[in-house]
Amino acid sequence: MLKLDVKYDVLELRNRGYSMSEEDSIIARNLRKIYSTYLRKGLIKRERQEVHALKGVSFSVKRGEVFGLLGPNGAGKTTTVKILSTLLLPDGGEARILGFDVVKDASKVRKLIGVSLTVEKGFFWKLTGRENLTYFGMLYGLDGQELRASVQQCLELVGLTSLGVADKLYEEYSLGMKARLSIARALITDPEVLILDEPTLGLDPPSARTLRELLVELAHKKGKTVLVTTHNMFEAEILCDRVAIINEGKIVALDEVEKLKRRLAGKVSLEIIAAPPAKVPVTSLIETVRSLIGAPSKAFPENGLVRLKVVQPLERVEETTSRVLDILHRKGCKIRRVEVKEPNLEDVFIHLTGRKGF
Amino acid sequence: MALRTLFKSGVVLDIYFFKNNRSAFLFTLIWPYLTLTLIIGMGYLFGSAESFKQNVGVSVDPLMYFIASTLATMVSLDVMWGIGGSVLEHRWIGTLPYILLSPNRTSITLVLTYIPRYLLNAGIQLAEFAPLIFVVEGFYGGLFRLSIVILAITLGMLPLLGFSALFTSFLLSIKEESNVLGWLNPLILLFSGAFYPAYLLPRWARIISKALPSTYTIELARLSAIIGSPELRKITLLIGALVAMSVIYNSASGLLIQAGERKAMRKGAI
Ligand SMILES: Nc1ncnc2c1ncn2[C@@H]1O[C@H](COP(=O)(O)OP(=O)(O)OP(=O)(O)O)[C@@H](O)[C@H]1O
Ligand SMILES: [Mg+2]
Repeated sequence: MLKLDVKYDVLELRNRGYSMSEEDSIIARNLRKIYSTYLRKGLIKRERQEVHALKGVSFSVKRGEVFGLLGPNGAGKTTTVKILSTLLLPDGGEARILGFDVVKDASKVRKLIGVSLTVEKGFFWKLTGRENLTYFGMLYGLDGQELRASVQQCLELVGLTSLGVADKLYEEYSLGMKARLSIARALITDPEVLILDEPTLGLDPPSARTLRELLVELAHKKGKTVLVTTHNMFEAEILCDRVAIINEGKIVALDEVEKLKRRLAGKVSLEIIAAPPAKVPVTSLIETVRSLIGAPSKAFPENGLVRLKVVQPLERVEETTSRVLDILHRKGCKIRRVEVKEPNLEDVFIHLTGRKGF
Repeated sequence: MALRTLFKSGVVLDIYFFKNNRSAFLFTLIWPYLTLTLIIGMGYLFGSAESFKQNVGVSVDPLMYFIASTLATMVSLDVMWGIGGSVLEHRWIGTLPYILLSPNRTSITLVLTYIPRYLLNAGIQLAEFAPLIFVVEGFYGGLFRLSIVILAITLGMLPLLGFSALFTSFLLSIKEESNVLGWLNPLILLFSGAFYPAYLLPRWARIISKALPSTYTIELARLSAIIGSPELRKITLLIGALVAMSVIYNSASGLLIQAGERKAMRKGAI
């Protein structure tokens, strides 16, 4: 892959007054974003509503690091990603990529980053994967032999050539192939910083694993900086060097995964999988259980079943288990599995965010 | 970054698109004749060729008049769709953020990647009508008239680029995805006198017509249809008008497309 002509020189940046550590490639400081939306009230009248998507988000990512932004739907992950990739203007705070301000030096930032937003679209339907990549490569300044080589290499890296679909039309791609192409486009200029919004969405488990290995290799071996968002705890745990947990526009925890898990020392995770009877709505069932437990908990509907998790001190686990099972029985649920486990990142997340409704 | 590469990316995009989509290319070939038929049909709605000459006032060659109208109209439409429409399309298919991520200014990216398509379309249309013009007007007459038409559509493209980019900034800044161009374009063509001469329009409409660059493009192209020799003074005036409008619209759009972009980036419309 080629090198871009823009190099950042830490010394030069320092001389120009940027205070940055040689290590920090991405810096977000107190980022705020308020979306205004309008609610129609009749034909002409409309009411303005504000959504505080980011309420002061700060973090920094080191060079050579895979950093995860982990949070539930609507937490503000995509908003953060768009601000960092110069596509959205913040309403407060600042962000820098390799020392360049994402608002004031947007065009410099654009030369240094590779971005993948929603992986399921963003290409021309009537072009093949290779043709799409070639077009975007040119748009980003590549040409000639360099372009062809880079396109080929990126197609190989994401496995589109081994799937034999590099020269198939984009409209014939499956979701996983589209996701791969989106990652390939982010890699096309061999950027120093990769910003990827839910990159493994739609990938089957083996492909997701391959992609994670690729990202780790790019970061640890080639010194690239990788920022990914995900709501998949398992993925964050095995992929990321450090994780920021974001909820309702705020970062609620930021640390290495192991250290985050250590916060739950002495606590265990109770997991119950139950099959609710058809007439009981899953949401109301979950609410009843939650209101009675009083410990951080979260429930995930999973194809007809409910997976309920409660994080609590080891000594209380027996008592809670029997109470929850009792409630579920009375509601007519069939219990499929009960398990007590060492906490993982998901439990850290539940511990931090699981007191309120979900 | 090399603007040449940007231009080339537009060429490459067109080649790929037409290669994978032969029927679209076929349609591009048929399209000029379809439009000509439509415009001649509309023209004859107002009477025969003789009564047409009387209506228009000066002695014009009806066939040349219609060919010139068709070319100027199609080219104007093409620029407006090519630039404004491309933004809508990019938004629909989700490529818009990645276009914006190109390190160049968005207006430059949009215009430069569009120009190859413009040259292709205009080239095809000229090539298709040229034989017809030569048959009807003879070689030298045809060459002369064709040059005026080429001048008109080339000069006419310049203010239209800016004019369309103005739309585009508006399209960018609104979150709506509705097809604004779909109903705006026919209106613009109506006011530009594409369907019948602009001076036959009501007074209020003529004011709008004066502000539209396509009015002058179409009128200049139509001068090629005047029997005998077209008035040089009028040609010069129209060229002047087009040049002035190029400056006005292109500088305005240069500013406004950035404003539109920023507004979109604030609202989260990208
Ligand atoms: N363009 C927009 N206009 C108005 N509100 C928006 C817009 N984009 C996002 N929001 C709102 O901002 C909040 C944060 O959204 P965001 O897309 O950043 O969440 P997310 O963490 O990426 O969620 P997900 O996991 O579902 O992708 C949500 O409440 C969302 O409804
Ligand atoms: Mg998101």
